[in-house]
Amino acid sequence: MSTRWYPIYKRGSPQLRVFLPNFWLKLIRPVHKQPPNVVQFVVSVEMTKHDVKNYLEKIYNVPVVQVFTRIVSGETRQDPGKGYVVKDDDYKLAYVTLPQGKTFEFPELYPKEEESEQDKTQKELKKHFKNFVDRNKDRPGAPGWFSF
Amino acid sequence: MSVLRMRCHCVKFIRRFSVLPEYTEKPEYPPILDLSRDAVKKRNDEVWHNKIKNLEILEEKLMEVNMPRYYGWPCIGLYEGKVPYGSLQFAQYITRTFIVTQQELPMLYQAAGIVDLCAPILDHVKNSIKEAIVLEHAVERSPSGELEDNGDDVNELGDAIVHQINRVIISSLSADFPHLQTCQVDHFPRIESFWIVGGIDPPKRLEKIRKTSNNGDLGKPVDVKFQYLGRPIAQLRHELPLQPAAIESEIQKIESNVPEFHYDPRVLGIDKLQRHVTNIPGFWPGDKSEFPLMSFHSSKYLANRSSFDDSEAAPYVHAVLASFAWLQALACYKGFSTFQDVTYPLLTQTVLTDGQYWSFYVYQLNTMLLHSSHATENQKCNLCWGTKKLKLFDKIENGKVVGFNEEVLKILLYFYLNVPHVRSGVELKPYLGVNNRYIADIPEKDKRVWLEKHFKHMYSNRPRKLLADELYHWEKIYKVDHKTRPQEPRRRPFELGQVPLERRYDDHTPAYVRKSERTVKWKKFEKTYYP
Repeated sequence: MSTRWYPIYKRGSPQLRVFLPNFWLKLIRPVHKQPPNVVQFVVSVEMTKHDVKNYLEKIYNVPVVQVFTRIVSGETRQDPGKGYVVKDDDYKLAYVTLPQGKTFEFPELYPKEEESEQDKTQKELKKHFKNFVDRNKDRPGAPGWFSF
Repeated sequence: MSVLRMRCHCVKFIRRFSVLPEYTEKPEYPPILDLSRDAVKKRNDEVWHNKIKNLEILEEKLMEVNMPRYYGWPCIGLYEGKVPYGSLQFAQYITRTFIVTQQELPMLYQAAGIVDLCAPILDHVKNSIKEAIVLEHAVERSPSGELEDNGDDVNELGDAIVHQINRVIISSLSADFPHLQTCQVDHFPRIESFWIVGGIDPPKRLEKIRKTSNNGDLGKPVDVKFQYLGRPIAQLRHELPLQPAAIESEIQKIESNVPEFHYDPRVLGIDKLQRHVTNIPGFWPGDKSEFPLMSFHSSKYLANRSSFDDSEAAPYVHAVLASFAWLQALACYKGFSTFQDVTYPLLTQTVLTDGQYWSFYVYQLNTMLLHSSHATENQKCNLCWGTKKLKLFDKIENGKVVGFNEEVLKILLYFYLNVPHVRSGVELKPYLGVNNRYIADIPEKDKRVWLEKHFKHMYSNRPRKLLADELYHWEKIYKVDHKTRPQEPRRRPFELGQVPLERRYDDHTPAYVRKSERTVKWKKFEKTYYP
């Protein structure tokens, strides 16, 4: 999978080189609920099921039973000023099934910190103010207390 | 003023012509109905289920399930011989099957005295079967006809051996066992079966819609439709049913613990289909032999999935799905459906073989009510007994069978010698009419001909001439996701709030009748008889 050339041997340079593949796999949290032995990756669109299987087995020594892949269309968004539509690149998702009995759970990378009392009241105040502004949005000039 | 006057007139009119007295001793209030979204949906579903239940003609029942969809229902396609990896829990959950034992068959055969009967018959049949196996090995076939693994799911030799063994056993035993004389043998029958299973996790797309509509049904499980499509090597059926292997009191003793599988079936790599759902147990309605005896299924595909380590579980998945699907379709032909549960148990015997290796299963259908909340609330469960993979013979050498295993043949003979009996005290077809059961019984010729034609057309599952309008990719980007073309006239279905795939089956112009063929001159279109 590597496209690097094996350089011409010069005296003193290492004779054995290992070139890692050009591709990478990104382990992601499953979007849909999956059985515990299914792991989801974002992979290069060029990689095939066999590539994914070999990549995991040969480099990481992970046993793989089967791989399903699908190509996901990139998201589109509109330019706020000009209004033209831009599309992100497509990507491939790989659903890798591990042998039965093996499980993988996506780790909690950023554990949630507990909110302090001050933050809570700050949030509450902001919410009430937003409600107040929203309520009076359509009646400019009317005093704030003019309501049921 | 005019409204008030009209209302007064209406009241007077109703009073004058109403037959019922206006006042009663006790006030009669209409029932107070729960008007929540779930309750209304449940009531509407019940109305539909009752309509199916009350239809007298079997084919009308089968058609009615498809009536809400012109382009068919979206369903999960289960194909015989395609067993996804690690799917035993899934197969058990969607069929509500408890596997009693993976080692031996039920006590039924000992109790009925079949085991004792077997010994003299075995010697009588053995040699003919050996000869048949040798003969089939001598026939020259295409490369796919070999028993060895060749990457092909077709197993000509295995199929031929099954047909030969079946022929030998039936011809040599039918003189002593009349039920084999009167049974029907189907070769490669068309098995199609449809059922609904509840309790499946909602897909992400649906959750997104639920979040915006905010009806409080976020995370609620959904129903999934399953369509099984199978083609056994052969099947035997009879006019009378087999005796159940476990009676109700015994079933309650068996500590049923059906595993749960709430994931979307697509996580196993099974695809979705859009088709008219069908229930065909290998014959058309009206055939008299409509109870199962046994069926033979090819297990050749097992050799081609050697990369998987579930070789013990995979045959069970195959056997459970094949047995349930066949019994389910047969039960549908008796007037039951996925909405109306069977009132008596049905039993079948299933054989999985590639010609050399044989495994045997006995399956008892106690329930097929699995939709919506029944998936978790239904206390009944179906039962499956099975054996390990057994070798019938080692090889063929110099025109002789080497290492012939009589024990395997013995179990096969148990299946043939299991005699069906009259099921007394049970109404076998409670939801079908007494005199009018099938289309063929309808006295009106026009209706009979029309229904027969349209039932067969529906069940042929031909695609529609005009495919449903789709949302093109460019439209999704420039019209739906980003409203970049506001000036264009709105003519496409998604701009008019129409959903083409939700069109009803009868939502079409009836066929045109030529002037010369009309009975009433001004009636341009033919009469329809949809249920």
